[in-house]
Amino acid sequence: MADLIMDQKEFLHTVLPFKDRLYRIAKRLLVSADEAEDAVQEVFLKLWRGKQNIKKYRSPEAYAITMTKNYCLDRLKSKQAGTMKIVHTNYKTSESLEHKIEANDGVALVFKIMENLPEQQRIILQLRDVEEFEFAEIAKMLGSSETAIRVGLSRARKTVREQLIKKHNYGIC
Amino acid sequence: MESAKITKLLEAYFEGETTLAQEKTLLAYFSGDEIDAAHEPYIPLFKGVQMAKDETMDKQITFPKQKESPKRRWWIGVAASAVIVLSVTGYMYTNANELTQEEQEAVMAFNQSKEAFLLLSKSFNKGAEELGYINKFTNTTNKYFK
Repeated sequence: MADLIMDQKEFLHTVLPFKDRLYRIAKRLLVSADEAEDAVQEVFLKLWRGKQNIKKYRSPEAYAITMTKNYCLDRLKSKQAGTMKIVHTNYKTSESLEHKIEANDGVALVFKIMENLPEQQRIILQLRDVEEFEFAEIAKMLGSSETAIRVGLSRARKTVREQLIKKHNYGIC
Repeated sequence: MESAKITKLLEAYFEGETTLAQEKTLLAYFSGDEIDAAHEPYIPLFKGVQMAKDETMDKQITFPKQKESPKRRWWIGVAASAVIVLSVTGYMYTNANELTQEEQEAVMAFNQSKEAFLLLSKSFNKGAEELGYINKFTNTTNKYFK
């Protein structure tokens, strides 16, 4: 029992390395950097309150990712239910990234295309291409099957390709 | 890296059939300088993926302050109760010695009444002593009425 209880130091040592990853996932879903930061803060507080349980999970990171995904999807749902719409003027990235993206129209387009993918495809694309998880891990995090993950990933990648090629042929890039 | 191999990898990539290692190969190829003209349309895609990987959160996470461990709380509790007990008893002691103005007046009044009663009692006893002579009269009278 005693070894299941974490002190703050041990807790921070366990969960803080996930911070940037949780932020990227939250931002892929919520788009706005501010909202992604709030989401990560909220997820960490939840993890802190449940820190007695965190060691029970085989992978605290997978647990934290699932929690982040659920939190963000809830946020999006309550936004759609309410009068608030996802306003793209909220779109804000860290200064340096924004600068880099602006310097490259093609990349900016890729990010725009990703924003318009269905939520599930966005998460899969993020977890695979950006965070480099195995299909089995992603399936567990999202409570899905490996086959479904592969199908979703393929659709997401093809959508990005299709729209990118279309613009490329029009000579916008 | 041969161009044909990359083309094949790209096909597999869009079908969701590449391994993580193969995806790394693609990323390395697209971040390099020797990219085949046929692959050029995909440059923004892999550049974007690479940029997305590098994104970090600058804002700090704040946590509620750590509560004391149960062991430490235990003796802090004992110390706190000891302080309370001591201060309460101390307060009571000092209060017992220091009578209020009203109590002091009451004690003074009591002492004064006691003195007055003592004086009265003394005078009474003096009077009672004098009464002893009455018996003498009785005795003498008895002589004649035997």
